[in-house]
Amino acid sequence: MHIKYFATFRELAGERSFDLDEPPPDVAGLLELLATRYGDRFRRAVLADGHLGPELILLVNGRNVRLTGGLATPLTPRDDVSVFPMVAGG
Amino acid sequence: MGKMLMIYPDKCTGCRICELACSFQQEGSFRPGASRIKTLTWEREGFSVPLLCQQCDDAGCVSVCPTGAMHYGPPGSDLVELNQDACIGCKLCVIACPFGSVNYDSATRLIAKCDTCAGAPQCVAMCPNGALEWVDDAEQTRARKRVVGEKLKAVFEEVK
Amino acid sequence: MYGWTGTILRVDLTHGTVRRERTDRELAHDYIGARGMGGRIIADEVDPQADPLGPENKMVFAPGPFTGTFAPSGGRYNVITKSPLNNTIAASNSGGTFGPELKYAGYDAVIVEGRSRTPVYLWIRDDEVVIRDASAFWGMNVHDAVDAMRAETDEDAKVACIGPAGENLSLIASVMNEMHRAAGRTGVGAVMGSKKLKAIVVVGTGPVTVADPDRFKSAVLSCTGKIKANPVGGAGLKAYGTNVLVNILNEVGALPTRNFQDGHFPNADKTGGESLAANQLVRPKGCYACVISCGRVTKTDNPLYPGMGEGPEYETAWGFGADSGVDNLDAIVKANYLCNEYGLDTISMSATIACAMELYERGYLTKEDTDGLDLVFGNAQAMVEAVRKTGTGEGFGKRLAEGSYRLAESVGHPELSMTTKKQEMPAYDPRGVQGIGLNYATGNRGGCHVRGYTISYEVLGQGPPMDPHATEGKAALDIAFQNLTAALDATGSCLFATFGIGGPELAEMLSALTGEEYSLEEFLRAGERIWNNERLWNLKVGYSAADDTLPKRLLEEPIKTGASRGEVNRLDEMLPEYYSLRGWDADGVPTQAKLEELAL
Repeated sequence: MHIKYFATFRELAGERSFDLDEPPPDVAGLLELLATRYGDRFRRAVLADGHLGPELILLVNGRNVRLTGGLATPLTPRDDVSVFPMVAGG
Repeated sequence: MGKMLMIYPDKCTGCRICELACSFQQEGSFRPGASRIKTLTWEREGFSVPLLCQQCDDAGCVSVCPTGAMHYGPPGSDLVELNQDACIGCKLCVIACPFGSVNYDSATRLIAKCDTCAGAPQCVAMCPNGALEWVDDAEQTRARKRVVGEKLKAVFEEVK
Repeated sequence: MYGWTGTILRVDLTHGTVRRERTDRELAHDYIGARGMGGRIIADEVDPQADPLGPENKMVFAPGPFTGTFAPSGGRYNVITKSPLNNTIAASNSGGTFGPELKYAGYDAVIVEGRSRTPVYLWIRDDEVVIRDASAFWGMNVHDAVDAMRAETDEDAKVACIGPAGENLSLIASVMNEMHRAAGRTGVGAVMGSKKLKAIVVVGTGPVTVADPDRFKSAVLSCTGKIKANPVGGAGLKAYGTNVLVNILNEVGALPTRNFQDGHFPNADKTGGESLAANQLVRPKGCYACVISCGRVTKTDNPLYPGMGEGPEYETAWGFGADSGVDNLDAIVKANYLCNEYGLDTISMSATIACAMELYERGYLTKEDTDGLDLVFGNAQAMVEAVRKTGTGEGFGKRLAEGSYRLAESVGHPELSMTTKKQEMPAYDPRGVQGIGLNYATGNRGGCHVRGYTISYEVLGQGPPMDPHATEGKAALDIAFQNLTAALDATGSCLFATFGIGGPELAEMLSALTGEEYSLEEFLRAGERIWNNERLWNLKVGYSAADDTLPKRLLEEPIKTGASRGEVNRLDEMLPEYYSLRGWDADGVPTQAKLEELAL
């Protein structure tokens, strides 16, 4: 699994991307794993009271996980994950 | 302990909300000409800095004022104050201020300078970027002010 | 009047006369200002069949009631005229400091009529209004002209002016102000050029008054707080600028690439806001009264592309980036600077070059046509040179200056112009994001994202999550965004204020400022009225339902790579519902009942 970080998440993670050979089975497991790897600031940005952080945009293969089951969204080793803070422009 | 108004030019984005807040406080409408604080902008370089009365300890505007209208506040206030009734509109203070922060308002034909909104400066309250702060006048803030002054000087050199 | 100044300035360049008129109170109430009031004035006073570059066209420079106050990010103005690019009511929106200064000078609008025989500029200092000779400034780029006219008038004057592109009647010319800010779209700069009006130079010293100062201040403080608390309005846009969008649109597979041949650009990250922040960004910059500061002061030391200025924002970084297949951010920045100096719309300029690149690669344009430029996708140097040629109007640049539709049509392939109603579409692929496709198709000034920015909900998570690949609910979403945005534009507010506040907050500020009570319903109805006024105009100039469409490519050729692979836009699933929800008949004509409801 290839995980990419953008905007403030690049600063929080201290790296642009990260590869996992055997990812957890779902988004909840992945975020727990990443939060453990990157520490408390990262954890606060991705999780809030056991839910997806309100200012997190998490894409799995380009699809927003809020549309595909949230934390329960299933994952496979072939998935691409993109981690964004809430961003905008125009 | 007195308070002082600190400028952080590196945080200023040139939005001029400070001018609007000041003029709104003075007149209840929006007329930047009435503002005591002025934002200087160099457009080609995209650099801005708010300038306002520094309430100097050794104030040129007070020294040159022929009528005593511009005067130091009572002991402990740390302010330079203007007595509008004694002002004859000679504008020597405007010329004397090294920061260009004594203003002559051509609409009202009056001298205008920052009075810190009686200790609750509206420019500080409305600045969206933290470029202005109203802080305790301690030795360390004075030191910080000197650092900011140096930075400001460096940026002025840069945009020259 | 409060909020409004109560005065409109009318300038006749043919006869060299200047007249003051009272702002019609009912007009102001119903159309608010800026895009709304200006659009009504154009519809009332200009013959729909008029030559947009002839003396019978008029131009309105109009701030809104918020402009000049500290309503958060509320300092904008519009340039409204009949568009020479596509005959629609052009209403091109710009920040900077020109709009507020017009208000301080005492004007809700400046209407420019007729045509001067020789180059002139309009010098306004409050009540003193003079038409002055601009022969010495004609031919100057924007930055030099601004400096020169300030030297002749007042060093603090605010200037809205055209560059050589507008003088040469380029159909993609912008009106620039504050050197780096543009009323960019729909070719408004060419109308100014056709009137031989180089600039409007203004100094204003009067007030903008407020009906209920305490109520207004408390509404403003509340709105400012909400915008600052929003993760986007508060910190996101300031840190990375709008260009932070390059990566997310690329990841969802909706970053139009190589003239919309694809929806994914492998090298996008090199052109994004993160890269700009690390390499070219000097500091963030705010427009007048802006609490967001998405502007980018930038600098490149690259010997091929040296310069300092502002930008790029997202659309520009996309157009000169992914859409042109270019991944050199220094070149993109340089192309942006050139557009600002010559006075060109960055979106239409870049998308026209992208179109030319496809025409060139397919052999429809040859090296002979392009003056020797090897205009293949990804050739950054050729791209920058093409901008320069367009700005100066030399050689192949003359053809680029007409926009992509006329260029592609001239070689028999109009289908390769990625436009709706002849205006270039911006940086969101309608195949990857369905709702924005409907917005492009129904856009009253042609391809444009800021008329109904459904991306907020479909991609950016600002509202309830919506599937960008689904068509359900998109008609209603588009209409809601289009109406709200029309009303918002009319106040003088920036669209980005909506990253924090919405209709209720805008209506409250407007009521407190003007003293006219706007309920939310009334405020949104003003937006709907503005939209329908623009629609009626389009029908009069000859547009019909057949023009509410997208380029064939977006309806038939699926995206090839990335997360939206296989998708096309399914406009036919959305458009009939859109007409019906709008209260229009099946031909897209507003019904009598709708017109009566809106007092049109």
